[in-house]
Amino acid sequence: MITMDRRTFLSTLAAASGPALQASEQKLTPTADTMIVLWMGGGMAQTETFDPKRYTPYAPGTPSNQVLSTFKPIDTVVDNIKLTEGLENIAQVMDRGTLIRSYQAADLGFILHSRHQYHWHTGYAPPQTVAMAHIGAMISKTLGPRNAEMPAFIDVGQDMEIGAESQAVKAFHTAGFLGAEHGPFMIVNPEDAASSVRPLKELGDKRFQSRRELWRQLTKNSPLQQAGGFQKESLLRSVESAHRLLDSASAKAFDLSLEPKASFDRYNTGRFGQGCLLARRLTEAGARFIEVTTEYVPFRHWDTHENGHERVVEMKRQIDRPIAQLVRDLEERGLLNRTLIVLASEFGRDMMMEGKPGNLVKNQVDVPDIINSTKHYGMHRHFTDAGSVLLFGGGMKRGYLYGETAPERPCKTIKNPIGIEDLHATLYRAMGIPADTAYITEKRPVYVTRDGKGKVVTDLLA
Amino acid sequence: MTKSVFALAVRSFALVILAVLAVSPAAWAQVDYQRDVHPVLAAKCFACHGGDKRSGGLSLGDYQSVLDGGRSGAAVVPGEGSESLLVRRVNGEIKPVMPPAGAPLNEREVAVLRAWIDQGARSAPTAAAAKRRFVAPLELTKPTATFEELLDVYLKKNGVTAAPVADAVFARRVYLDLWGFLPSPEQLREFTSDKGADKRGRLVRQLLAHRENTSEHWLSYWNDLLRNEDRFGTYGGDRLSISPWLKQALSDNMPFDRMLRTLLNPREKTDPEGFIRGVNWRGEANASQMPWIQAAQNTAQVFLGINLKCNSCHDSFISKWKLKQAYGLAAYFSPDPKLELVRCDAATGEHTTAHFLYPQLDRPAGETLNERRAAAADIFTDPRNGRTPRTMVNRIWAKLLGRGIVEPVDDMDQEPWSPEILDRLTSDFVEHGYDLQWLISTIISSKAYQLPSVAQPEAVFRGPAIRRVTAEQFIDSISAITGEWPVLQLNNSREARYVREARLASSPLSRALGRPFRDQVITERATEATTLQALELVNGKDLYQLVYRGARRMLGQLPPAPKPLFDSLVMRGDTKPVAIDLPVAGLKQLYLVVADAGSYATDMVKTNWTTDAFGVIDTGAVSTKVVELTGKNLDRFKASVRVDPSVHRSDINPSVRFFVFAEKPNYQQLVPVAEQRPAPLAETAKAQLARRVFQHAMGRDPLPRELRLLRTETPEELADLVWALSMTPEFQLIP
Repeated sequence: MITMDRRTFLSTLAAASGPALQASEQKLTPTADTMIVLWMGGGMAQTETFDPKRYTPYAPGTPSNQVLSTFKPIDTVVDNIKLTEGLENIAQVMDRGTLIRSYQAADLGFILHSRHQYHWHTGYAPPQTVAMAHIGAMISKTLGPRNAEMPAFIDVGQDMEIGAESQAVKAFHTAGFLGAEHGPFMIVNPEDAASSVRPLKELGDKRFQSRRELWRQLTKNSPLQQAGGFQKESLLRSVESAHRLLDSASAKAFDLSLEPKASFDRYNTGRFGQGCLLARRLTEAGARFIEVTTEYVPFRHWDTHENGHERVVEMKRQIDRPIAQLVRDLEERGLLNRTLIVLASEFGRDMMMEGKPGNLVKNQVDVPDIINSTKHYGMHRHFTDAGSVLLFGGGMKRGYLYGETAPERPCKTIKNPIGIEDLHATLYRAMGIPADTAYITEKRPVYVTRDGKGKVVTDLLA
Repeated sequence: MTKSVFALAVRSFALVILAVLAVSPAAWAQVDYQRDVHPVLAAKCFACHGGDKRSGGLSLGDYQSVLDGGRSGAAVVPGEGSESLLVRRVNGEIKPVMPPAGAPLNEREVAVLRAWIDQGARSAPTAAAAKRRFVAPLELTKPTATFEELLDVYLKKNGVTAAPVADAVFARRVYLDLWGFLPSPEQLREFTSDKGADKRGRLVRQLLAHRENTSEHWLSYWNDLLRNEDRFGTYGGDRLSISPWLKQALSDNMPFDRMLRTLLNPREKTDPEGFIRGVNWRGEANASQMPWIQAAQNTAQVFLGINLKCNSCHDSFISKWKLKQAYGLAAYFSPDPKLELVRCDAATGEHTTAHFLYPQLDRPAGETLNERRAAAADIFTDPRNGRTPRTMVNRIWAKLLGRGIVEPVDDMDQEPWSPEILDRLTSDFVEHGYDLQWLISTIISSKAYQLPSVAQPEAVFRGPAIRRVTAEQFIDSISAITGEWPVLQLNNSREARYVREARLASSPLSRALGRPFRDQVITERATEATTLQALELVNGKDLYQLVYRGARRMLGQLPPAPKPLFDSLVMRGDTKPVAIDLPVAGLKQLYLVVADAGSYATDMVKTNWTTDAFGVIDTGAVSTKVVELTGKNLDRFKASVRVDPSVHRSDINPSVRFFVFAEKPNYQQLVPVAEQRPAPLAETAKAQLARRVFQHAMGRDPLPRELRLLRTETPEELADLVWALSMTPEFQLIP
């Protein structure tokens, strides 16, 4: 192995114009071929979900700072792992998973969901001097599609027009400097997924075919056959391959109506549940990277600024059954070993603390000293010192618990903290991608983990 | 000199010969790179500059690397041994002296290097003298020959003899470049049949004179460059739109130097502060992304063709720019006149005040921020600063011809394919008062622009590169063909407008076609065709609706939408109830419509109509309630509308708009659209539609075999035709 110091490496890079480069010449054997990110957009409260603390039932007059969890803990099939009420189905498959309780989000000085989400998805905190690439785009660029008829990076469930933060959310749903080819194939509503790969309803199959034929005739009959050079060829090729994809057998994977009703019902808790079903079908059909989100919309879903308990009941109802079913189905089909499922969120939550101990930021939610309304019962502030990440399959340990948080407030991480660089390094490692893989833009390298410095957390690997 | 030669002579005969040679290179046989030079470098320099070792970015391992030089610039200036850095470092003239450790080069070795360079730094004795590494000058040099004369000489020298493109091709290019959409068949015919003198020049002037069309088209280019959007959803001015100012500047053809001065030194409320404020996200920014560092990066990139992004964090590994220089430029834009250098997020303790990248243009920066911004504006527009106008001229050239005279356009240290042409054109631009329209018109009128395009541009200029239409040109051209334009409807306006695509927020369609997120400066759009993009074009709803609505309009099947009797504008959870009092005598029914205007949880919104005649009607964010007036004998309809206070919650964020209609509304167009369109409507007889649509899209008559393919009986057929035409290379590639 040739080792170079960073500066020498960079000078060499500057001269090179090749695609992927990595400083270390590691050859990694992938343990996963597909990655599914289940995104809990809005800041999932860890003490209400995967990291139960002392349960305090709702009672008017309770001091706010005594409430750590508003749900009772429940047992799972793994002795040392407890979850909270409402996650009974996931509890039954915990023996297939690794639970990280020590994810620490970055200190960005202020909580802005879309900014932390940008950070999670690209590994870099905005603003940046070049448009950074989503992790799905990096994987698409590095590994390409598993099945040529299937877009390598599919994003399910996020509407881009969400009011004030639209611009910010768009900013990381992109391949950025890697080029549009690696960008996300966006499916907002899984129920409509089929329509994104089938001729539009308004158009219909017959017109779809006749229109394509008209286009072919027009291009074939044009007297200007010689003009256009390679640009013309690539344009024609792209339109043909889009039609091919729309015609392909793989397109059926997008069609949830082809799923047996019993199976559809097991997943169907709403849009997220259907998204999980779609992810399973797409994985079977050869997708490379899929993200399914509960959807980030300011103040909605996991973004519980008020009525936290009641809202989390609903969120758990949405995610519990389909996630467990996804794990079981992939296992039953022999795919779980080669599919890495990652459940994550941009940060955790706490009732009292905005930011983290030693790095508090401006409170965004008023919390009364004494709780006298269910409106205030729940985790409403944004907490960055601890959050939970759940991993299944794809070469990760099974029935394994990593990291620990304090039993009392502030429930900070007390063991094995892990930040985005190392988490990403571990995920990339599973996909066979070294953490210092880089792509060149403006004559400089951009690494898949910041400055190529992510360290694989080998404890997590099976 | 004689003395030193004599002194050497006593040491050894060979040395005398070489020393004489150093003084007068012709006096001795040629130095051979392989035989004489390489061994010296290998013995004395390879420890740090050989093979993979590139201390200071310099490798001396092989001939090409020696000529390439390092981060300090050229190591070798062919023909100028004594001026070459390589010699001056080894003979101790310039510090650091090389080699830094170990035995220094002896006099013979120094003489060999000097002689080799004096003789032209040839790769072999029989090879041609090496070319000098290009050093981009700061100042402009104005050649005596005119721009056109220089162009003639260049083209002749490079054997470019092609005739200018045909009128129709020229017109297609010019309409797309000046107005951003295709000429109508009538406009094209008028031009091609024109027999008058200088008709191309007249067309250019005529199109430029249409300030609205020209500025709406160029807005997209400047938005990319200045990373601007019409509307930013931001918190407390993290970003500021400069659209109103920019639009005015482009409409008025504001001189470029004045634009630049205003961008760098905004004073009035209406001035464009957004550019130097940058793109900020709520919270703390990395040191290398503070607003003033962004301002340094952006001004250097856009107006100097210099990339300061690397050295905003550390001394650049790939260019000569240092961390201190980035901070020096940033200090012109920071509230603090003195900035502490932060290297890769670690404070260094070293400080700098405002200094320009080229010290010769430095001027006292001043105590206040306003003074410093004013100094920056002075420096960027200093007559001795040829770099800024040269950068801008090169950008406009690249925009119009697909490739710059210097490439890449963001690295103005690269060698132009003709420094003379670039500097002459730039000098003329400056003398014409930085007149952008003059520049555009001069380039378009030149022989260069009118050459046939080339698919694979080379280092030698042989004609414009084939370009692909931008997202905006694509969509606006379809609108021009069908007459049906995008509609901009604002929450606070009772009238919507037909607008150019650029005025809307980006859509899946425009993003697929390369409209960027403007979080960074964008100087060149991505234009590659990808499958993902084609999927959007083949199957996306946006394009389908665009062509289908257009087809219905062309066939007269898009009746004007009914106008509302009442429009509440946007109401939110805390908006006070709004009263309605309408004359309704003679009306049979009323449509009470609620439309969503951006609620977060549309399904949870509750709204109420409290009416005199029909009691309280509770509805949601998207609803229509029809009330029958027949038999009610009502003269007036009195009511009040409100968002139900129970849904005034952060997670619902109710935002709705109430309407009352006397007839069934068109839900796609509840707010009436002003008649004015970006291009006038042409009514075409149905029998002529096929031919006309084809002509408009392709800029030529259809051949009989093509005409046979065109069906326009139904809106579906016509929509499919417009779609199919828009998918052809003929439509999407600018010839």
